[in-house]
Amino acid sequence: MTANDIEVVPQFGAFANFGGRYVSELLWPALAELADASRRVIEDQAFRSELRDVLRDWAGRPTPLTAARNLSRRAGLEIWFKREDLLHGGAHKTNNALGQALLAQRLGKRRLLCETGAGQHGVATAMAGARLGLEVVVYMGARDIERQATNVERMRLFGAEVRAVAQGSGTLKDAINEALRDWAATVDQSHYVLGSACGPDPFPTLVHRLQAVIGEEIAAQFAERAGGQPDAVIACVGGGSNAIGAFSPFLEDPAVALVGVEPLGSIAGRPTRTERAAPGLLHGARTLLLQDRDGQVEPSSSIAPGLDYPAIGPEHAALRACGRVRYVGIDDGAAVAALRETCRAEGILPALESAHAIAFALRAAAAGELAEGARIVVNVSGRGDKDLGILQQRGVATTGGGA
Amino acid sequence: MTVAALRARFAEAAGRGCFSPFFVLGDPTAEETVALARASVAAGASMLELGIPYRDPCADGSAIQRACQRAFAAGSTTDRALETLAAIARDCPGVPLNLLVYGNLVHARGVDEFCREAAAAGASSLLVPDLPLGEDAALVAAAERHAIGLVRLVGPRTATARVQASASGCVMLYVAGVQGVTGAPVAEERGRLLARVATATAGSVPLCAGFGLSSRRDVEDAFAHGAAVAVVGSHLAELIARCHAADESPVGPVAAAVRELAVTDPSIPNP
Repeated sequence: MTANDIEVVPQFGAFANFGGRYVSELLWPALAELADASRRVIEDQAFRSELRDVLRDWAGRPTPLTAARNLSRRAGLEIWFKREDLLHGGAHKTNNALGQALLAQRLGKRRLLCETGAGQHGVATAMAGARLGLEVVVYMGARDIERQATNVERMRLFGAEVRAVAQGSGTLKDAINEALRDWAATVDQSHYVLGSACGPDPFPTLVHRLQAVIGEEIAAQFAERAGGQPDAVIACVGGGSNAIGAFSPFLEDPAVALVGVEPLGSIAGRPTRTERAAPGLLHGARTLLLQDRDGQVEPSSSIAPGLDYPAIGPEHAALRACGRVRYVGIDDGAAVAALRETCRAEGILPALESAHAIAFALRAAAAGELAEGARIVVNVSGRGDKDLGILQQRGVATTGGGA
Repeated sequence: MTVAALRARFAEAAGRGCFSPFFVLGDPTAEETVALARASVAAGASMLELGIPYRDPCADGSAIQRACQRAFAAGSTTDRALETLAAIARDCPGVPLNLLVYGNLVHARGVDEFCREAAAAGASSLLVPDLPLGEDAALVAAAERHAIGLVRLVGPRTATARVQASASGCVMLYVAGVQGVTGAPVAEERGRLLARVATATAGSVPLCAGFGLSSRRDVEDAFAHGAAVAVVGSHLAELIARCHAADESPVGPVAAAVRELAVTDPSIPNP
């Protein structure tokens, strides 16, 4: 433990020594207001019932729990997929975006702004804004706009304005910087729909609450279909919203192993992101962060744009510190291989992000990380249609051709 | 400069108006920042605000972010920025130096160690925009231990009770006159906000107007509404950017701009 571990202890939204509200005073009043409102509104019966109805009738919840029979045989495990890829919009992001959009509406905001990496959160916010009649502005790294062109078109179709961020590395981190700037200037009219389980208090708590529906459904569906509890729940972790949602109801139950799968980028076998990270302040939270000796944030890298973020959310940092969740790494090549295998074996095209979690499951029994025959749930956080461009570049998918 | 001396200096400047340019340390090079500081003081600046370059300056606008990038391109690190600060302190004796630094740079060294080094380098006060009231207990303690003044930020949405709590223990209160980041268009609200903050704090702390000031009129207006200090940053960073792009020294043009911006009552001699 270094000296600064002792010195800086978050006071707001703390998860042990992580979390907090490290933002400019210009944003403080809005976050304080949001913290109060979200505590009040999220537990309000009328709000919960409206959210449940829209999630069911518009977004397609509950999503199925699918037995992955062919992959199970190969992996020597009983693998179940939680199908967030089938949620409206194509990823788990809709749970959070819709919930926050409804909350913003209750707060009297007319404008939603958000950041997006893979584009899924931007699409989800654009859809929710269209449904609720709210203006939407999406900040997206210039590099990500190139990598995820289809999602950019979808956001525009839903009426959102997509603003390219060329500063920095042109990815998710820079998009968040720009969205925070916009919010500071327009906080009276705007709500910032933060898309991951990161950022200043109350976002990590709010996003956890809105994504917990994934884990709640897993618990109920698994009990009904397979009986009892799963031995393990596995999810990919960028900022960590799909993972915290999937883990949520199992956090207090040590019988269920929880595994967060982090991106290793192109370098197989190197230490994971959190192993290379140190505690620091990024985007309003004290968390584990890739940084140099001075505290300058260092770039992350991953083939999966949704995992290309230099920090994990503060609750994950705390869950790692107390040992409740294990964090492991999967490299780009293994994720692509798992994506292909899932397509061929199960007729499901997972997002590259989700393919990281599947890749871990596929090797876990052989590597002795999970017991042979273990019953596990892998959260398929999104579908991979958005990744066709990346797959084509790597020669995994073929281009063009007739119908 | 001790905190007591700093308070005395602000008290002395009150009523006359204390103009402060803002520079990113190392923009466009360490040597040129020192020259810019010297030339600014000669041109009438009575305080200097200096920022340590940060790669993710989300409390600043794009002009300051580009200034940071120029500093990084010239090889800036926190060590070099503190050396540059020390050189400015040597060359500009008696001029209060307010250091602006992002929380993670402070956190990476340890809050106590950072305050010790900043004080040793000659900073008279410190503003860490992303360690706000409520999350700044370690900073408050370390600043006091190393006799470096604490500066907090308040904005248009900061409630009166929070303005008062923010003023407590500060050598200066930084009033962000426009809701938004530095370099945003100037709003009419600045005067009203300054007046509200002045009433709330009842003269207990000098007020510094910043964020979005770019002209002599903005500076005069801030003084007229009760600011003891007025800071111009982005406007000068853009001037430096233009000079840098044209491969010219920014020192002459910036000194001329500071001379134009530094409003002094001719009846009171320049410090």
